[in-house]
Amino acid sequence: MRLRYSGAVAALAASALVLAACGGDGDDEAAEAPGTVAFYTDKAAWEPQFLEVSDVSESSLGLGLDFTGYSDADQYSAFIRQAFRTDEKPELFTWHTGSELEDLVAEGLVAPTTDIWQAAIDNGDVPEAMREYFTVGEDQYCVPMNAAYWVMYYNKAIFDEHGLAEPTSWAELMTAADTLLAAGVTPFYETNILFSFVWFQTLLAGTDPELYNALSSGEASYTDPGVVEVMNQWRGMLEAGYFGDPGDQTTPQDQLKNGTVAMINFGTFLSGQLNSVDMVSGTDYDFFIIPNVNAELPQTSLIFETGPMCTAEEAENRDTALQYADWWMSEEAQTAWANARGDVSFNPKALVNDEQLAALNEEASAESYLLLERYFEATPVPVLAAALDGFSAFVTNPGDPMPILETIQAEADAYWSSQG
Amino acid sequence: MSGLAVAAPEQTPEHPTAASRRRRRGSYRWSARAFSLPAVLVVAVLLYLPFLWTTWISFTEYNGLGSPSWVGLDNYRDMFADPNFTTSLRNTLIWVVGTITVPVSLGLLIAVLSHGMRFGSWFRLPFLIPYAISGVAVGVVWRFVLQNGGGLSQALDALGLPGADSRWLLDAPMNTLVMIGAAAWQQTGVNALLFVIGLQSIPREPIEAAKLDGASGWRMFRHMHWPMLRPLTTVVVGLSLVASLKTFDIIWVMTKGGPGRNSETLAVTMYEETFVTSAYGAGSAVAVFLTVVTFIAAITYLRRQLSTERTV
Repeated sequence: MRLRYSGAVAALAASALVLAACGGDGDDEAAEAPGTVAFYTDKAAWEPQFLEVSDVSESSLGLGLDFTGYSDADQYSAFIRQAFRTDEKPELFTWHTGSELEDLVAEGLVAPTTDIWQAAIDNGDVPEAMREYFTVGEDQYCVPMNAAYWVMYYNKAIFDEHGLAEPTSWAELMTAADTLLAAGVTPFYETNILFSFVWFQTLLAGTDPELYNALSSGEASYTDPGVVEVMNQWRGMLEAGYFGDPGDQTTPQDQLKNGTVAMINFGTFLSGQLNSVDMVSGTDYDFFIIPNVNAELPQTSLIFETGPMCTAEEAENRDTALQYADWWMSEEAQTAWANARGDVSFNPKALVNDEQLAALNEEASAESYLLLERYFEATPVPVLAAALDGFSAFVTNPGDPMPILETIQAEADAYWSSQG
Repeated sequence: MSGLAVAAPEQTPEHPTAASRRRRRGSYRWSARAFSLPAVLVVAVLLYLPFLWTTWISFTEYNGLGSPSWVGLDNYRDMFADPNFTTSLRNTLIWVVGTITVPVSLGLLIAVLSHGMRFGSWFRLPFLIPYAISGVAVGVVWRFVLQNGGGLSQALDALGLPGADSRWLLDAPMNTLVMIGAAAWQQTGVNALLFVIGLQSIPREPIEAAKLDGASGWRMFRHMHWPMLRPLTTVVVGLSLVASLKTFDIIWVMTKGGPGRNSETLAVTMYEETFVTSAYGAGSAVAVFLTVVTFIAAITYLRRQLSTERTV
């Protein structure tokens, strides 16, 4: 009898365990508290800035952000992709433009924002030129979360010490680099992780912007003579000692502060990082727009990046999330965001406190500049992965670029042929 | 049991009937099944189902969104044709050889040296401490030591020794070798501990008999301790073999498999394909390949060792 009884107890306990595992917690299933939008991002380190803007939106819009940050971009990407297969579709989340956004749109996973875009453009909250990066087919999707330009930061004390002024041509930039090199100072920052593409981007965009765009759209090959020439130029600079140690994992802001390198080719979000290590804009550091390699070009190539903030089409609070996205593009939100981050804004009306960044914000919209999408977003993911691996190996061991370019092109061929 | 014992005498005072024995056996079997049900369910849900799902995905093209589309053996064909996979396979083999030889032999050496030694446990303690640290933390610490201009380079420079300019984590296959060194630093202590347990479990009689016959030192170890340690050596090497085939954390933290994927192992390639490029089909193909290799290696090794032991 006891055996039977104990068997029944065990079965009951097992069933209870299974039921407990499968059943949901009442609290977890409770609807999102009114007045908040569930927000997910891979920029966990930016939480204080997001919450600063959330405070502003709470008082002005009656909605705040329920923040969830991931510090690993790959894990974040996997999380968002899997979230679409659950009942908890992400209400508001950061993503990437280019092929990654196209993937979501192809599956009908993100809510269109065409009306929000039109209203924002009509209101002067976003430049018309930015619309194309958020357009898939006929409609717009997501709104810009941020914007950044890629410029050359420099340590003012080092420039002053060696009597250098901001270069206005490529020749002047190389002369400055030679001066620093002769004085035992490493001119430029370089890394072999993630941002290994930056100098390829700068050299190609400043030499042949049409080729740069054609490469991103699959209309040109990585083995084209123009690309090979750029790689050889980069190799020459690497071998001449223009760049810092690519294996040095000291943060770029610390490298600039410590004088490990004199200049860093970076996005304007570096301002916030430099401020965080107690460097003062305009006093300890400054930046300039990188001159074209090819002086004959009619416009100066200026790399910009923008990260989208999206809403799942089937999110439980879809309309509320879209309301927040609409507010995010406003002057009020962008002023709060740009100053919290210490960065520029895509909204020309935003009041940026940092004088250098405010001047750049204004200058970038001038006719003399050609805005080019950052290589990271402009390149399809499989091609980008091969390119980052190749560039990482190249900056570590400079040599014949052809094997690397052929590997990237093989990936590009496979990708573009699969796109029909 | 007491309930059954009370009921039984009414039927057969001396022996339980066949029917009651069957009932007892049957009810015992059912309760055993019920008790094991939660564990079986956990294993089925967390191990077998994901493996079957991964195997299915490996025959599809899938980016984590929408529905997977069947591509047959394409992912496997692409995998074997990919030069990165060849590099990854080569590095995995280096890891297998390195992990089996270095931490196992060092562990054995430490165990033998400290066995029977006064304060032997104190001698072993420093080697055991790293095992309490997670693989990720070990990777972080060793990255600081081995990165360009890091602790090791500075120490060599300060001592005027050569190698201060070595790019430990950048050049292949040196980066793989130094990472094996970091893994050995963590693993050696626990191997030593296991070997000490093995040494302590050896019966005293044959050892004393060998002493009386004049055996000592290397001869004693070679002909007495080593053969008697074989069961434990089988376990230690088997565990190291499986651990080396699935090495991921320490590599991901120290080099992310780079630069240029030159320090990747199969586990890192699996992660790279799945989560960095979102090619879930290709990543699953690597996962299935790795699982099959690990399974075959472990089974083959254990079968050979255990059959040898039986013949011995």
